[in-house]
Amino acid sequence: MRDYPLENRYAFPAHEVAFNKGASISLSPVKGGFVVHVLGDAKSDEAALKQTINKIAPELGTDVRGHSPNQWFWVGSVDISNDRLAEISAALHPQFVMTDQTHGRVRMKLSGPSSRVVLAKGTMVDLSPDLFAIGQSAMTQIGHIGAMITRVADDSFELIVLRSFAGSLWDELQHMAAEFSHG
Amino acid sequence: MSSLVKCPHCGLRPREEFTIRGEVATPRPAAGADEAAWFDHVYLRDNPRGEHREYWHHSGGCRRWLVLSRNTLTHETSEVVDASTLKSEGGA
Repeated sequence: MRDYPLENRYAFPAHEVAFNKGASISLSPVKGGFVVHVLGDAKSDEAALKQTINKIAPELGTDVRGHSPNQWFWVGSVDISNDRLAEISAALHPQFVMTDQTHGRVRMKLSGPSSRVVLAKGTMVDLSPDLFAIGQSAMTQIGHIGAMITRVADDSFELIVLRSFAGSLWDELQHMAAEFSHG
Repeated sequence: MSSLVKCPHCGLRPREEFTIRGEVATPRPAAGADEAAWFDHVYLRDNPRGEHREYWHHSGGCRRWLVLSRNTLTHETSEVVDASTLKSEGGA
């Protein structure tokens, strides 16, 4: 018996509307889905990982974002049960090993025509459309917070951040975007 | 203006994303080597004017240990490689 009930707390501020409607920037939490950390052996590559995922869990998609040699975040919008995850984990073995990070890393989406200017205040990575293609990712820092930036559409970026930093990053992005926040 | 380091995995990144550990030491002496050799290995560091090889950790990016050649005079960084390549050199 535990002494106190477990509480499921939301990682983002309670009122999550960051900017006025019609502003050139918008920020929103990405709810649900999964984030899985995949480690491959020295010979593994992204193509092999996508192929393996396609074979064992085609319904979950192959959105894998490399953050280090032989390491990826596998991200999807479907909720998966622990049993299904265990099944997938067993099937990935032995070339790949995975750890569920769904509750450890959260996602938020920054979009709008001003998104690049806002992100440029916090990160050094060049996000120009011709250099940072749709689907490309970069593990970097936004201010002092470690985050992964992925370009998901023309002017739209998804950020993956450790759950306990989500509130701070949210706050920081609001400050960085203040000049564009009025529609 | 921040100095840029070309991480072999992540590309051009600012110095702020890295943690610097220091000089790449000479290979570890043999177990029975005399005290002077061990003292040199453990405590004595070079402080050259010019090219210097250092361990850098890309803590804000790929989190890999890198070996970087830096000119201590101009702060220019030339060769940057993953530290795992040192294994084949026989050092570490």
